[in-house]
Amino acid sequence: MAEATAPKPSSSVKLVLLGEAAVGKSSLVLRFVNNDFQENKEPTIGAAFLTQKCNLPTRTIKFEIWDTAGQERFASLAPMYYRNAQSALVVYDLTKPTSLVKAKHWVAELQRQASPGIVIALVGNKLDLTNESASSSNNLGDDSEGDATEGEADDGDARKVSTAEAKSYAEEEGLLFFETSAKNGTNVSEVFTAIANAIPETSLKGARGPGATQAASRTEDQSRVNLTGPRDSAAKDTCAC
Amino acid sequence: MESLSDTRWDVVISGTGLRHSLLALALSRSNKKILHVDENDYYGGPEAAFSLQEVDEWVEELGKAPTSTLFRNASIWKSEEETSTDSPTLSFSRAYTLTLSPQIIYTKSKLLSRLVSSKVYRQLEFQAVGNWWIYNAEEAVLKRLPNGREDIFQDKNIDNRAKRNLMKFLKFVVDYENQTDVWEAQSESGLDIFLSSKFNFPAHLQIVITALTLSLAPPSETSVKWALPRIARHLTSIGLFGPGFGAVVPKWGGGAEISQVACRAGAVGGGVYVLGTGIENVKVVEAEDTESPAFHLALSNGEAVGTKLYVHEATDKDNGGITTVSKAISIISSSVPSLFRSTVEGSPLAAVSVVVFPPMSLQIADGIQSDPVYIMVHSSETGECPAGQSVLYSTTKSSSLSKIVLQAALESLMNRVPNQGKLLYTLYYEQTAPSGSPLDLSFDDQLLEQVEAQWREVMAEKANEESFMQFEERKGMEAEEEDDNDY
Ligand SMILES: Nc1nc2c(ncn2[C@@H]2O[C@H](COP(=O)(O)OP(=O)(O)OP(=O)(O)O)[C@@H](O)[C@H]2O)c(=O)[nH]1
Ligand SMILES: [Mg+2]
Repeated sequence: MAEATAPKPSSSVKLVLLGEAAVGKSSLVLRFVNNDFQENKEPTIGAAFLTQKCNLPTRTIKFEIWDTAGQERFASLAPMYYRNAQSALVVYDLTKPTSLVKAKHWVAELQRQASPGIVIALVGNKLDLTNESASSSNNLGDDSEGDATEGEADDGDARKVSTAEAKSYAEEEGLLFFETSAKNGTNVSEVFTAIANAIPETSLKGARGPGATQAASRTEDQSRVNLTGPRDSAAKDTCAC
Repeated sequence: MESLSDTRWDVVISGTGLRHSLLALALSRSNKKILHVDENDYYGGPEAAFSLQEVDEWVEELGKAPTSTLFRNASIWKSEEETSTDSPTLSFSRAYTLTLSPQIIYTKSKLLSRLVSSKVYRQLEFQAVGNWWIYNAEEAVLKRLPNGREDIFQDKNIDNRAKRNLMKFLKFVVDYENQTDVWEAQSESGLDIFLSSKFNFPAHLQIVITALTLSLAPPSETSVKWALPRIARHLTSIGLFGPGFGAVVPKWGGGAEISQVACRAGAVGGGVYVLGTGIENVKVVEAEDTESPAFHLALSNGEAVGTKLYVHEATDKDNGGITTVSKAISIISSSVPSLFRSTVEGSPLAAVSVVVFPPMSLQIADGIQSDPVYIMVHSSETGECPAGQSVLYSTTKSSSLSKIVLQAALESLMNRVPNQGKLLYTLYYEQTAPSGSPLDLSFDDQLLEQVEAQWREVMAEKANEESFMQFEERKGMEAEEEDDNDY
């Protein structure tokens, strides 16, 4: 369908994933990019780079995703990935309160050091381990299992971070907020779509005010020099090489 | 938590400057266990890029440790806050990325082909260096340097005899390697004598040609054998990646951007990165076999690590060539569009213009300006400043007068362009070349050769099976167009 119509404007958006080890950053990316899940995903060493497109009604966003390692010994990596990033996904594990503490630390560092216009989404992952997994955090009126009380429950609810707590923090800091499950896919594409929508259109066109200078997207603007000649850009659009 | 000392490292690299970052990139598919540390808490070392606040911190640090580094005498000047609201002012700290490495990269440079063959060019964005201007003191104007042969023909400022001589020289210089009879006898002499004796160039043309070499010395001290390859490079680079330009710069902070992209590749390849950690002590040990460490390193964070190879940044000072330069990074409240206006059809929007002040073109109160000044004007297209402003990178050879000389050049430039705006900020500093890598306003491919030599040393016999920085597309990138699950 999309091919039949005139091509929509397309732009690249750099996104960096940050968060404590084992909260599910790579799993979220795997779900978003390959619609897959691995029960025992090995920890990321260093960082990984992936891309995925996100089709919006009026434009296509190509995410250039940097998935960083959460283990403490890789902590020095983050600055080189959030430099010039237009968006960040800060992930915690909603069954592990310390991971939210770590997430807050990342948010503070991003607000201090990253591009001024950066769009940050706070994501509480592993929603499937709660007994409200069928509902999405943005849609709490859904017909989830009746008594989805926060805190410990006797029916295997492992949730340790309440939606309300994380959400009010996100609101205070002006972050997008979602609870997700990389395992069953809940809310995963929604996170990326919300980020894509939150990137200001002006920054995508390269027409930027002082506030968005460094967060401006890397679109093919008039000043770009192609190092590989016209052949490559044609190939990029048509084949998988 | 696994500590750094639990691993038997194959290579420990100290410093994340351009050279060592490129080494990390070159080794990123080698499966070697690599630890890459930097004593600074930022990436890029001597090629770093900073926000205004980070510049403040950098200047303060330099003040504390003036001898241990390649930089010194750094100071910042800011325009006074004005009470009137419509007068232009500095934007906030992070609206700026001031780079310590604004070198231009000729399109012929091997660096570009290596960035392509190693696939990291996809994460970089290059922009064109457009017009070159030279200041003419007699007429007190900036003159655009001709951009190729057609331009020279059309230039009304050059008389026909000079045009003929110029064309003769251009024809020679792009073939200088095969015409050694013309220049070899004079290879050590100054470019001025060579150009006047062999090509009948008047003084102002000698100056123009010298400017193309980006020589920091006057024509008389710029040797023929050094200059010819550079002039040839300049001329043969034009048009290679599109009409109207022969050099590029990476957006978002020049060399700093390349070094970070290279380190990212190192990290994707499994390299471990630790900032704020230097090497405090090195002990060379007798290795029992090829598998055991040959170096014991004491890190400044208290850990001790063993490694087979240890690569560190040279901080000893050079003693040949030009070793110290004075630099100023200035922010002005104008986009100076006249400097960037293209005269060549189909050329990309230039983000950088080069302005040259030849020796003795500037009025200095207590002395003469014996060396040229180069100002690289970066537009806001580079992502280094907000729209409506520009960042000016000025360089001249260090002398007791160099600070005044830079100031005079800056003033002169601003007075020559319409709506020049106001000077908002200047960072002044002096930089000394580390041994083996002379200071250069353009990227010197020699650095890449040094990286390749180090890569060979690390790879040992495996270097023969693989080519330097020649990589396949990474899996994630490959899948990019194939497995598109569009949401
Ligand atoms: N139940 C459940 N498990 C998950 C979910 N997401 C990830 N996991 C599991 O959590 C573990 C860690 O996931 P990763 O995606 O590797 O975590 P990470 O944040 O990338 O970890 P590092 O790379 O070490 O920083 C794996 O065993 C995953 O299978 C989820 O939504 N639900
Ligand atoms: Mg991971």
